[in-house]
Amino acid sequence: MTAVPKTVLVVDDAGLVRVYYRSILEEAGFRVEEALNGLEALEILLARPVDLLVVDINMPQMDGLTFLGTLREKEGSIASIPALVTSTESADADFAAARAAGANYYLVKPVEREQLVEFARMLCGVRS
Amino acid sequence: MTERPALTEDEFRRLCEYLYRRTGMVFTEAKRYYVERRVWERMAETGAASFAGYFALLRTDTRDEIQQFVNAFTVNETYFYREEYQLKCLTNDLMTERVSDKQAGDPIRIWSAACSTGEEPYSIAIWLLENWSRVDEYFIEIVGSDIDTRVLELARAGTFGKRALMRLPAELIGKYFQELSAERWQIEAQLRDSVSFTPVNLVEPGQTRQHGQFDVIFCRNVLIYFDDTSRRLAAENLYDNLLPGGFICLGHSESMSRISPLFDVRRFADAIVYQRPGTRT
Repeated sequence: MTAVPKTVLVVDDAGLVRVYYRSILEEAGFRVEEALNGLEALEILLARPVDLLVVDINMPQMDGLTFLGTLREKEGSIASIPALVTSTESADADFAAARAAGANYYLVKPVEREQLVEFARMLCGVRS
Repeated sequence: MTERPALTEDEFRRLCEYLYRRTGMVFTEAKRYYVERRVWERMAETGAASFAGYFALLRTDTRDEIQQFVNAFTVNETYFYREEYQLKCLTNDLMTERVSDKQAGDPIRIWSAACSTGEEPYSIAIWLLENWSRVDEYFIEIVGSDIDTRVLELARAGTFGKRALMRLPAELIGKYFQELSAERWQIEAQLRDSVSFTPVNLVEPGQTRQHGQFDVIFCRNVLIYFDDTSRRLAAENLYDNLLPGGFICLGHSESMSRISPLFDVRRFADAIVYQRPGTRT
């Protein structure tokens, strides 16, 4: 891990899922911030950009795909923050929709610890 | 200073009847000292000069005295990872069975029905995070309830001493708690937010029903304080609060078969639990 830890924003409406992903990512050396839905994530990103987004799809207020679509339209560097979508939806149409909205990668829940760390490192450009 | 009057036989009987009606808990002459001590505590607190005066205050429920009185009677001794074999059973068998006809993303609802200061529902949350690899596949909701509103405040605050954490591995304390001071730890904010706390009297169907149906209910070492009638009433309420096929875990010395015929007994590798018959349609 590099000297300055990379920051991941976990966007998921399920509290236990946020705690779960955070504990895995922190153990792997990342800093983790959390948002309950897409709207809150957008607000957080306006204040401070992060290195990676881990985004659920089904969330109240603003779902993950709307969030990514909105983010990719923004001006400046936040538009290109890499995004790993994690969702229970596993149909080809869901993968395609996520890709169209701007997801860089898609993992179907349940996500294994090693898998989450591996893809987070890959998308942040960090060597293990 | 308030006197510490011994209750007459008649006063003691009326008080116990009252306590029974309000909470379902049964106290007999054998527990006289225990009951009297709490009455004295409340008399000192409220400034009542006599038992008759205090009892009147209680019955008219001035200043929410009924709740204060109930709070003084509840036993709140517990610790994290108590009766761990049931937590093992939860992740080794119960969860797998409960999700067998659920879709990914569906809710799984777990109720800690007498949660005291929060050790049990927080233990369930930590246990699932550490031992159930599908924790992100479902929307897990954990509800903690207790008849004692004072302990619920403490549960929400989530601070614990050394004794409550004695069974929890140091690694998990480091991971999920912040040390506040010497020998005081607070469970992290996100975990606190992941458990909702609410007052529930298990013998009051009006209170139990409003929380909907659950996949798993933990109701450990509670029914032992009830007499046969209120125990059965509580069991029937808990039955209504279970989804068909849902499970209820009792304390190791308790048996549902003695209380109610409504449940099926299931023997798993780690524990015996009770199940509401039927499957979801």
